[in-house]
Formats: sequence, C-alpha cells, structure tokens
Amino acid sequence: MDSLLQATFIVGLLAGMVRIAAPILFGALGELVVERAGVLNLSIEGTMLMGAFVGFLITYQSGELWYGVLGAMVAGGILGLLMAFLACTLKVDQVVSGLAINLLSSGLTFYLFRLAFKNVGSQNLPSISTFDVVKIPLLGDIPFVGEILFSQHILTYVALILVPSISFILYRTKFGLELRSIGENPRAIDMRGLSVTRRQYLAVVFGGVMSGLGGSFLTLASAGLFVPEISGGRGWIALAIVIFGNWRPSLILLGALFFGLIDSFQLSLQAVGVKMPYQLLLAMPYILTIVALVLNRGRSQGPLALGRPYYREERT
Amino acid sequence: MTATPNDSAVADSQVGDRSTRWRFEPRIGTSRWWQVASIFLALLAAFAVSSLLIASAGANVLEALQAMGRGAFGSWSAAAETLVQSTPLIFTGLAVTVAFRGRIWNIGAEGQFWAGAMAAHWVATNVTGLPAPIIIAVTIIAAFAAGMIWGGIAGLLKARYGASEIIVTVMLNFIILFTLSFLLSDAWQDPTSHFYQTAATPEASNFPRLLAKGRLHLGFALALVVAALVYVLLWMTTLGYEIRALGINPVAARYKGINVATTTILILAISGGIAALAGAGELAGLHHRLRLDISTGYGFTGIIIAMLGRLHPAGVLLAAIFFGALVNGALGMQISTGVPVALVQAIQGITLLFLLTADVLARYRLTRVRPDG
Repeated sequence: MDSLLQATFIVGLLAGMVRIAAPILFGALGELVVERAGVLNLSIEGTMLMGAFVGFLITYQSGELWYGVLGAMVAGGILGLLMAFLACTLKVDQVVSGLAINLLSSGLTFYLFRLAFKNVGSQNLPSISTFDVVKIPLLGDIPFVGEILFSQHILTYVALILVPSISFILYRTKFGLELRSIGENPRAIDMRGLSVTRRQYLAVVFGGVMSGLGGSFLTLASAGLFVPEISGGRGWIALAIVIFGNWRPSLILLGALFFGLIDSFQLSLQAVGVKMPYQLLLAMPYILTIVALVLNRGRSQGPLALGRPYYREERT
Repeated sequence: MTATPNDSAVADSQVGDRSTRWRFEPRIGTSRWWQVASIFLALLAAFAVSSLLIASAGANVLEALQAMGRGAFGSWSAAAETLVQSTPLIFTGLAVTVAFRGRIWNIGAEGQFWAGAMAAHWVATNVTGLPAPIIIAVTIIAAFAAGMIWGGIAGLLKARYGASEIIVTVMLNFIILFTLSFLLSDAWQDPTSHFYQTAATPEASNFPRLLAKGRLHLGFALALVVAALVYVLLWMTTLGYEIRALGINPVAARYKGINVATTTILILAISGGIAALAGAGELAGLHHRLRLDISTGYGFTGIIIAMLGRLHPAGVLLAAIFFGALVNGALGMQISTGVPVALVQAIQGITLLFLLTADVLARYRLTRVRPDG
C-alpha cells in the first residue's frame, strides 16, 4: 500500500514535470532560434502573456480551443514582428525594445481583460474548459512511462516534437546554417548576397509565435482562466534556460524539465499536505539560473554577434 | 524593408532624376532639438492610441480625459496626491538612470524596491526606543544599504564572472519576491490577521507628512534631494565621469585606466540603493505595513521614466510627475466614466514604444541633395 502511494506520487510528480515544462519549452525553443540569428529578444514574458490572454479571450468567445491557440500564435507573431521592426529595421537597442514590449503587453492585457470582463473579481473569474489529456494508444499503456510521457496535452507533444525538429532545422538545413551564421558573423551572410534582415525577421517572428503558443498553453491547457500576469516569470525562465542550456536544443529540454520538476515537486508536496516553505522551493530555479550563469563562465557558446544590430555600412 | 543609410542612397542613385530632392541621412551624434521633440511626438502618438483605448471602453474620450485631468490636478489636494504617486517613480527612475548611463541594464529595480521596503520594515519593528528622527534616518540608511547589497550582487557577478546583469537582476526580483512571500506567510505575518501582511509598524518610524492635509510625505522631499545628488554624482564627480564613459564606450574606458569591474559594481550598488529608497518611502511614508501589493511594478515603470526623462534627473522628475498624474487621474476617470485604471499601464508601454521609434528620427536629418553633374 505504502509502495503504491510512493509510485503514484512519483508518477504524478514526473507527469507534472513534463506538463509544466511544456510552455517554457515553447518560449525557450523560440528564443533559441531568435538568439541564434543574433537577436536578443527579452520580450518572451510579455509575448507569452499576450498569447495567454488572446488565446483565452478567443476561446471564451468562440468556445473553440484551437481558435484560441491560433489566435495566440498570431498575437505572438505580431509582437515578434514589432520586436523585429524595432531591433532589425530601426536598430533600437534590443534590450530596451524587448523590455518595452513586455511593459506594453503587461499593460495592454491588464486593460483589455478589465474591458472584456467587467465586474470580475477573484470570486467569479470567467473560465473555459481546458484541453483534454490525450492518451496515445499503445505507448500510453506502458506502465509508468505511459502515464508520464504519453498521457499529456496535445500541445505538450507538440513541444516535445519541436526539440528534435528545431535541432534538425538549425543544424541540418541550409536555412539553419544561414541563421546560425548571422548570429556569429552577419557580414558573411550579407556578402553572399543573402538578406540578413529578412532572416532575422523570420527568426524573431517565429520566436514570437512560439512564445504566443506557450502562453496559450497556460490558459487553454493548464489554468482554464486568465488572471493578469499569469505568465508569472515563465518567459524569463525560458530566457534563462537558453543560457543554462548553452544554446543547444537538447540541453534546453533538460533545463525546462528541471524547472518543471522543481515546480511539480512543490505542487505535489502541497497536494499531499506536507507543511514546508514552498515559496523557497519556488525560488530555487531562479537561484540555480544565477549559479549556472556563474559556472558557465568561459564555456558559453552563445552567438558572437548576439544583441548587436547589423549595419551594412558602419554608421558614420 | 530596412531604412539603412545605404539603402536610401542606393534608391537615390537609381532614380536618375536631376531635380533637387530631399533625403534622410544619418547625422553625427543626435540632434538636441530632436531629443526633446521626439518626446512630444511620442507622447502625442501615445495620446492618440490611448484615446482609441478609451473609446473602445465605450466612454466619451473628452469626458474621460477631463476626469483624468481633474483627478490629477483639479485641486491642491489632488495635485499633492499626484506627487505622492510620483514619489516611488522618481526613485526608480533615478535608479535606472544611474545604471543606464553606464549602459548597465538594471532590470532589478523592482527587487531592489522590495529590499528597501523589507529593510525599512525590519528597522521600524526592531529599532525602538530612540527618537523618531533617528529611527527615520536609520530606516533610510538601512534601506539604501539593503538595495546596495541586492543590486551589488548583480554587479559583483557581472564584474567577477561575466554573468549578464539583465538575467541576474531579473532572477533576483523573483528570489526576493518569493522570500518575502514566505516571510509574510510565516515569521513576519501579522498574528492578528489571516492576510499575507505584517503588523503595522510603530508610529515613531513613520515618515512625517509634509502638508497639513493629504498623504504627501518625507519620501517626496527625499526624492528631490536624491535627484539633485544624482545630478552631482553623474556630472560633477570622477565616478560619474567614469560611469558615463563606461556607458559611451567600455573599451575606451578600460584603456583610459577606468577600473571597469569596480565601476560596474558601484553602478549597480548605487542604482539598487536608490531604488530601495522607493520601497522605504512607500512603507514608512504610506502603507506602514508590508504587503505584496505595495508596489504596482514601480521598478519596471522606472525604466520608462528614465528613458522618457532622457536619463537626466530633471527629465526623470518631470516624467515621474507626469506618470504620477496619470495614475492619480486614472482613479478619477474610472469613477466618473468607468474606464479601467489599468489604462495607465497600457499608456506607459505605448509611450515607451513610440519614444523608441521617434528616437530613431533623431539619428537622421533631412538634407537637400544637389544633383551632381
């Protein structure tokens, strides 16, 4: 009896880990592509928030979960376009541009939420029914592993499949090579007559779409409702995981799972009623990110031209 | 797609037009005139978009704006309350100014705010039996020190290990918030309440009020003093020169013999200290107890204030009072027209975006091109 409890606890813990990791994974994989193309996009947090809001609003109005997901991706793409315009066309400082989008998104979602749902308090928050868990036939029946990996939301599978897909695109295709070259030496790509700007736009918009998707996961698969600042720092965690994972898809997956594990652990303990300072546990990923930054010193394989706008002619 | 100087030149040469034409070309440095003009251009654009947002709430735009104006400056007490709202913004705006002048991206003013508020709370509850002025002085010093430490950690990690201050300061924001929320549910929780808040601090530690009526408190006066001190620091001291040199060109600064590591640590420590004063002001001047909602993101708004204020203390003062007026006026607007207060946060983000865009114009100038031959 005791051992069964143990097993269900661990299975629940690990299944939770995968579920919590998914939205962060979307954001982090998107940011990986963006940073590989030499753009530092700090707006993941705001873009996820916007995706979470737009996804929720559309689903609430239409009753269709996939419309919400699509809307969140479009909203994320628009914010990505805005970021690309600021960073690649206007060549505004990328740090400031990213922060500006975060602030815009934070304010705009808050305002639009109040506008769309008047007289709403913490007691009567509007909610939707979330995505169901999809159990994959056969694989889902494997003991333990099936419950952990193959009884998840569809979006979680999408996130997991994206890891090898993005890895393939970045390392095995011509386009991926070009993107990575821009991150290291944009002039080399420009000299070959290929447009640096167009590729960066593509990468940044893709990053926005991914963050929007990750955001929609929060409202449409996890919470079923929207509250202001529901992204709760996950975008920043995604940014940290890219560094933590040394700009490699597989390590980024590990980083996301690690964060998911800690969060799932504190949730599981709270669920069983263990009295413990769960806030301090929640602070762990943030502390460990700093530790990883410090330990990574000198071994970082971040793109060389990251965060530097590319001028075809150096400005006079 | 790009508006690079090169592109426009190419476009010109391809059109074999002999007539006089105008074109944008990059200027050396930025135009002082544009630096100011682009602020107003941005505000105007933000104003237009905000009007759209108000209209989308189904309210009369003019009516809403009037209500906002009345709420912010309609009476002496409304104006005083505007200054109350602007007080934390002056501090965080100045904090960000010091950091951004040195091109050190302190995104952690929010966390440093909390470091200050927590230190102020600790002093207020634990240092007792002394005359009020001394307790208040100790509160201010302790808050500044706490902010210096919280900001200085990021400085140290950047200087010593090359850890990005952007990530570290953001992470420190979360770490201190989780720590505080733990304390509020545990050791610091008001035993007589089930809310996550501390007990009220003893009266001797409260900042004195500046006016007979209203909530304007010592924090505002302190903010003005700090603004002056930041001006002195940046433009009248060696350290200030080094900060600005680091901001303009870190490589040149190093060759000039400036100790980049020390300067980086000092920038973040000072910036953190100033942001912490915002926390102390809100705690000791207004709320008198710690709750998680005593900051509405002042640390992040400080970034907008600093940019809008052109990283200059005088500009920061103006920008902070302007945003304080928005916050204060929005309450009046919500009451009389039903437009949600959250509009202010949206306006803030929109303003910054337009400002960044308008700034680009300051880097170019319109010149007349003579056809050559």
